[in-house]
Formats: sequence, C-alpha cells, structure tokens
Amino acid sequence: MELFLQTLIDGLLIGGLIIVVGIGFSLCFGVMHIVDFAVGEWVMVGAYIGYVFVRYLGHDPMIYLPIIFVIFCACGWIIYPLIYRAVSGKRHNPVLMGLVFTFGLSILAKGGALSIWGYHIQSITTWLSGKSILLGVATVPALRFSGFIFGILVTVLFMVFLYRTRFGITIRATAQDREMANLLGANVRNVGSFVYSLYAGITGMAGVLIGALFSIHAAMGAKYCTLAFFVVVLAGMGYVPGVIIAALILGLLQSFVGVYIGGRFNLVALFLVMYVVLLITPKGILRKGI
Amino acid sequence: MSVVAERLKWNSASLLWRWSPLALISLIALVIPWIVSPLWIRISTEILMWAGLAQSWNIIGGYTGYLCFGHGAFFGLGAYVTGIAMIHLGWPFGFGLLISGILAGLLAAVIGYPTLRLRGAYFAIATWAFGEMIRQIATILEITGGAFGMQLPAFLNLPYFYYVTLLITVIVYLTTYLLLERARFGYKLLAIREHEEAAEMVGIDTVTIKIKAFALSAFFPGILGGVYAYWVTYIHPDSVLGAQITDFMVVMAFLGGIGSLWGPFLGAFVVQLINRYLWLVWGEGTFYLIIIGAAICAVVLFIPNGIIGLMEARIFSPREALKQLRRIVKW
Repeated sequence: MELFLQTLIDGLLIGGLIIVVGIGFSLCFGVMHIVDFAVGEWVMVGAYIGYVFVRYLGHDPMIYLPIIFVIFCACGWIIYPLIYRAVSGKRHNPVLMGLVFTFGLSILAKGGALSIWGYHIQSITTWLSGKSILLGVATVPALRFSGFIFGILVTVLFMVFLYRTRFGITIRATAQDREMANLLGANVRNVGSFVYSLYAGITGMAGVLIGALFSIHAAMGAKYCTLAFFVVVLAGMGYVPGVIIAALILGLLQSFVGVYIGGRFNLVALFLVMYVVLLITPKGILRKGI
Repeated sequence: MSVVAERLKWNSASLLWRWSPLALISLIALVIPWIVSPLWIRISTEILMWAGLAQSWNIIGGYTGYLCFGHGAFFGLGAYVTGIAMIHLGWPFGFGLLISGILAGLLAAVIGYPTLRLRGAYFAIATWAFGEMIRQIATILEITGGAFGMQLPAFLNLPYFYYVTLLITVIVYLTTYLLLERARFGYKLLAIREHEEAAEMVGIDTVTIKIKAFALSAFFPGILGGVYAYWVTYIHPDSVLGAQITDFMVVMAFLGGIGSLWGPFLGAFVVQLINRYLWLVWGEGTFYLIIIGAAICAVVLFIPNGIIGLMEARIFSPREALKQLRRIVKW
C-alpha cells in the first residue's frame, strides 16, 4: 500500500512537469498547425544552458529561470520567420513541410549538443538536491516537488493569460479560425511569432528543471519529444486544457509501469496506450481535438 | 510518307536520347565490382542500398504525402528477422529475406490501420513513436541479443552483396515505376496527396489505398535490412534501429525531390558520397548530424522540390539559374 501511494504521488509529480512540456506544444499546433519535432531539443538545450550557467557563473539554477526564459523567447522569435517561410508559399503540403523543417532543426540541435558537449552525462545540483519532504504518507524529493509546483504555477499563469487577457483571446480566436481572426483585425503572423517564442521560453525553462531532476545528455530530447507527442494525442491535438489531464495520466502511467513492470517497458506501454487511444477516440480522450 | 519516316526517325532519336543514360548507368552499375577497389565497392553498395531505402520512403512520404518518421524501424526489423531466421531457425538467407519483407509489410498495415485514417500529423507522430518503441523492444528481448547485438554467420563476399543490393534496388525502382508512375494505383495515391477529401468524393477507398501504399513502402526496407545484416554480419540496436536511419532516408528523399522517380536516387547518391567523403577526411564524429540538420532545413526553405525540381526548372542553364536565384533569395 505504501509503495502504491509512493508511486501515485511520484507519477503525479512527474505529470506536473510534463504539463509544461506539452502545453506550449499543444498551443503551437492549435494556433499555427505546426507539429514541432524539436520540442525535445528545446528541453535538451534548456538543460544544457542551465548547466553552462551553473558551471560558469555559479549560484543556483532556479535564479536563472527568468533569464533562460528570455533567452529562449528570443530564440523562438528568431526561428519563427523561418518556420513561417517553410509552411507558407507555394508548397504541396504546408503542414508536412513544417514537420520536416522542425525535424531538421532537431537533428541540428542534437548534433550541435553532441559536438560541443560530447557523450558525457552532466548534471545540475541545486540547494534542493538531496533534500526531501514528507507528504502525508510518502517521502518525496524536494526537487521533484518544486518541479511540480513550478509546473502548476506556469500552467495557471498560462491559462489565465490565455483565457483572461485580450491577447489571449486573440490567440484563441486565431486557433479557432485563422482567416476570420485575420479579417477581424488580429495580426495572425504576430500571434504566431508570439506563441512560438512563448512556447520556446516555457519549454526551455522546463528543460532546466528536468536537467536538475534527471541527468543531461544530448540524446535526452527524444524522450521528451515522445512524452509531448503522447500528451497531445491523449489530450486531442490542439486542445490546451486537455493537456493537464493527459499529462497527469501519462505521469501516473509512467511511474506505475516503472515500478510494477519495469522501466524498460515504459515506451512499449506508452505506445500501446497511444495506439489504443488512436484506435478508439482519435480526437483524444476528451474528444475535443482537431 | 516522308512525314511518317521523319516522325519515326525523330521518335527513335528521342527514345535513344531517353534510354541511353539509363543504359549507361546500368552498364556502369553492372561492371563496378570488376573495376574498383573494395572500399569503393562498399561505398557503391551503400549508395544503392540508400537509394532503395529512400525510394521506399518516397512511396509513402512523397507519392502519398504521409510522412513516416519511423521507417528505420522496418529496416531494423528486417535485419533482426533475417538474423533470427538464419541463426536460430537455420533458414536460408533468401527465405529469411522474404519473411523479413512480409513481416515488415504486415506490421506497417497494423500500425497504419488506426493512424492512416487521421491527418498526416498524427501519422508522423505515431510512426516516430513506433520507431522508438521497436528500438526499445530490441534492447529488451533475449532473442535479439539485447544491447549487445547479434552476430550473423560471416559471408565475406563484397561483389555478392553488391549484386544482391543492386537487384533489390532495381526491383524497388521498377515497382515504383510500374505501380506508381504507370498504373491507376499511383494516380490514386497522387489524388490522395493533392486533396484527400476530393479523392474520397470520386470514389477512392482512401484508407485501404493508403494502407497498401504503407505496407509496400515497408516491405522493401525489411528486405534491404536483411541484406545489410548479412553483409555487415554484426548488428545491434543502435546500428540498425537508430534514428539516423530514418533521418538519412528523409534527407535523401527530400534533397533529391520527393514524389519523383529519380529524386531519391540522386539524393542518396549525393548524400552518401558526401557522408563517406567527410568520414574519410575527418573520421568518425558527430559533426555530420549538424550538416544533415542544416541540409534538411535549407532544402525545405529554398528548394522544396529538390534537385529534380531544380532540373525541371532548367536551373542548370546560367541565365535561368540567375533568374531563379533572384526569385528564391528574395524573401
């Protein structure tokens, strides 16, 4: 029973962090119909940037989070025009062109990280590392708990922004009907630029926390790419609120499979779940996807 | 009378013009093992193998317009199935190849059944995850040798593997030509790529056609994977199931020009030559990943129709090239 509760709490805590990776990705698809293959690479690069900051400037990685957010927003802002060019113009299939372009970006980022930092596994230590908190019956690492808190915080801010501000309404309008939003005076290209840089910033920040929680290596992107994909398939593509539930389910699934069956079967179990979901409700478990 | 004669002459001239390069290429391909060094036999075999793989990717990615990012899984599956058939079951090589191809095709049909009914993005995601899963399964299972890999009976005969690869690649290109360029099946696929709803409206059973195309495009990588396994004699999950297999297929098909018969061949030729050249100059490294990534991005941004598209736009005549360049660089 204790093991069960521990696993449950662990899963929820991981799920909290997965939300952050999935939410920007989902919005990105909803607004611009871009499936960003580089999502895992944003996480990876975020973790490495955090590592570089801690190594060369010292202090705790948590205080760098705002700076990293700004850096990644800038990166997204710079990259977006390229993506826009890839998905617009006289192309056979704009969605697929966007996919291939971000696929290229992800290979580029992976190759860059491998060339700079090599195959060594790095890690970030914070003042929370090694401490733990007693949560009811289970003891959880403080870092994992703070990651969860961070995830919830970012999600709440994100949702408030999306549902309670004027610009958030513009974004949702663009997601609903691009042409109509454009006719009503929304600058669709600007919205896309903004959403992409917001997504890059959030994902990069999540990368720092993930890097502190687990280990950092150049091939870690693939794992988070898979997780982000599973989250949006489960949530329904482009349906942002579904991400929260889907990410929590995924975190639980991961930790239960890891504890009761074996961590090696994680991906197999995830894939089976995705297969069944696609077979039964292709629009996500809430049937709200597009 | 003279008109007809003229016409006949002209036709035969154009026919000659059309088929002579192909005949020349075939001749060169047939005599290569006799005239070059073993290193270059290896490299030519690799080029042929990649040409076949890129073309099989092109069947689903280029002609049908559904991007598969897990095609390397079929290649690795073929390699492992052939290995298992030869070591554990004692079957002959050719039979193992056939089984590999059929299994890969069946698996593609099973994966494609739910995912191909949806938009392209779902398919891309599902196949990518599928590729990752297959790699993980190969590391878990006992029969595949886990992370240590699998040792096949050694058969060190470079020309043999060269000719086997040549044969299979020729079959891939012939199949593509006959089935996709010259038959109703190919036109149906093009209709699906251009406008799926319209294709469905005029009575094409889109789901079945797409599954067939996917199974066909998975069949050949299965066979080529088997040949590769017997050729290199030692396989492990990273070498035959690694992400780089799919990466190379995509970049070759895109560079050459997707949805065309000769595009993947050109792409494979250029990419593999550059790859091997860099390898000879720099040795083993990770820098090639940066080049591949940048190449994919550049091709998507600037020449979305690939080398074939450039040829069709007559870019290789200087005046036209200048005009095109001006048009492309202008944002």
